[in-house]
Amino acid sequence: MYSIIKRVLFFILLIGIWELLFRFGIWPEYVLPTPVSVGKTLIHGFHDHTFLIAIAISMKRIAIGYGISIVIGIFLGLLIGRIRIFEETLGSLISGLQTLPTICWLPLALLWFGLNDRAIIFLVIMGAVLSITIATDTGVKSVPILYLRAAKTMGARGWKLYLEVIIPAALPHIITGMKQGWSFAWRSLMAGELLIVCLGLGHLLMIGRELNDMSQVIAVMIVIIIIGILVDRLFFVKVEQRIRERWGLVKV
Amino acid sequence: MLESVEIENTIDIDQIKVESRQLANKLNDVQPKLRIQNISKSFQSNNRGFSALEDINLEAREGEFVCIVGPSGCGKTTLLNIVAGLEKADSGEVWISGHKINGAGPDRVVIFQEAALFPWLNVIKNVEFGLKQKGVNGSQRRNTALEYLKMVHLTKFQHAHVHELSGGMKQRVAIARALAMNPEMLLMDEPFSALDAQTRWILHFELQNIWLKTKKTILFVTHNIREAVCLADRIVILSTSPGRIKKEFTVELPRPRDDNDVNVAEYSTRIMKELKAEINKVVKCEMDADSCVECDIKCTTEVPAKTDVGGGI
Ligand SMILES: Nc1ncnc2c1ncn2[C@@H]1O[C@H](COP(=O)(O)OP(=O)(O)OP(=O)(O)O)[C@@H](O)[C@H]1O
Ligand SMILES: [Mg+2]
Repeated sequence: MYSIIKRVLFFILLIGIWELLFRFGIWPEYVLPTPVSVGKTLIHGFHDHTFLIAIAISMKRIAIGYGISIVIGIFLGLLIGRIRIFEETLGSLISGLQTLPTICWLPLALLWFGLNDRAIIFLVIMGAVLSITIATDTGVKSVPILYLRAAKTMGARGWKLYLEVIIPAALPHIITGMKQGWSFAWRSLMAGELLIVCLGLGHLLMIGRELNDMSQVIAVMIVIIIIGILVDRLFFVKVEQRIRERWGLVKV
Repeated sequence: MLESVEIENTIDIDQIKVESRQLANKLNDVQPKLRIQNISKSFQSNNRGFSALEDINLEAREGEFVCIVGPSGCGKTTLLNIVAGLEKADSGEVWISGHKINGAGPDRVVIFQEAALFPWLNVIKNVEFGLKQKGVNGSQRRNTALEYLKMVHLTKFQHAHVHELSGGMKQRVAIARALAMNPEMLLMDEPFSALDAQTRWILHFELQNIWLKTKKTILFVTHNIREAVCLADRIVILSTSPGRIKKEFTVELPRPRDDNDVNVAEYSTRIMKELKAEINKVVKCEMDADSCVECDIKCTTEVPAKTDVGGGI
């Protein structure tokens, strides 16, 4: 409770300093807008639905891209984690590719897909898939041997062993990878939308720049931050904690 | 829990015992439930092979409760894993009801020292797991699982999560999970050794009652002679390095037995005496090897007093 008060006070102070800087007139308004005008833009943006539409478009892209990368990532992670030959070949490729910043895939994405949605979704996938693959691989390798033995003596085999034992047992690792993958995906989405201009939050940011409307730029940035926080703190952190508790990895 | 134990005790044990004997004898004229034939197993360590098990031959009748006892590291777990099909022997064969085993299978369910329940499933789903693998349909699965949860007195906890259970409760769920599959045999690897004396005492009662009810053939590994006397029809003593069958004892005390019963204590002491030589050999061997970290010298150098509940080697 106390920490919330501190945090609120901090932000009030920050906005106060911001307002003061503006009052002193050091920078003109098109460089540094007032908090009030940013607030007005926010309200206006939500009121005439432009922000909502942009959020919806961006969310749809990330949902598709991220969804695909979860499926591919878990599949590849299982292959690498369980089968020696894939570990030695695919495994080294994956860890090599992970050093490549996602945005470096942009030229390739443009050549393959053109200036459109598919190129952006491709970037999102490339952002998230490697983290999920690597985390799944680690998770699969650290499944307690006891679980596997118990499952085998109860007759679990084949794909059922994967679906009902290995994947759930690896879930604490997988969810951590998904969390990291989400933040990479979110970044690549924004980068993609800025560079491949076709609606979405990133595009709204570019419109702000083109119209020289600084308050819109900052308003959109705030929206992007808030969505990031909501997904990370309210979803992933909670889910991760729940899983770790259930799996007996932390004392309750 | 104590209450329920008392209720269970009122079953007419002698009657059941006679019946199961007769049935067992009839079947055993044909073939034993379990036949372990010439099993040997060695491990490679530091480029030196060392023999963990040497020429083990053992049979168990239908419905028999056999305990394997031996000092730490003598190969008890290895033997049990070979019977379970989780490990391969270098030579020898294991037969269950006349079929040679080849790999792990749901006809021989193992109960491990740690319960090995799946934390992503709640209690009832854990018990259903094996049935689901067999392809039993939903409602039938639930009914069977409930029936066995009832047998271990945990129906109240059917929707609890694994991390909410105590060690003893987990082990009871593991027993229910194994029984629900209706296996040919139960293989138990020191299932109670991580529990406190009180809980162990209760579970000794419950296991005996379950055994009397279900007539399962049980192979039970322990290093605790008192536990073995309390549970077994027959006790097989393994010697250490290499693991060989040293001696066998038949226990003919009325059931259910109590850890602290005078007869059980006396019997344990007698076995301990007979094993003194072997135990001394182990202690000496471990002292010589200068690696006494794991050996229980305190227990091994003196014959346990009658009040000693543990009574381990
Ligand atoms: N995978 C392995 N590789 C090498 N040595 C092994 C392996 N598994 C077991 N051993 C050795 O084989 C011997 C028997 O081991 P095992 O686990 O069967 O003993 P145990 O009788 O069950 O002992 P405890 O009472 O401590 O559980 C031990 O000396 C152990 O070091
Ligand atoms: Mg063992």
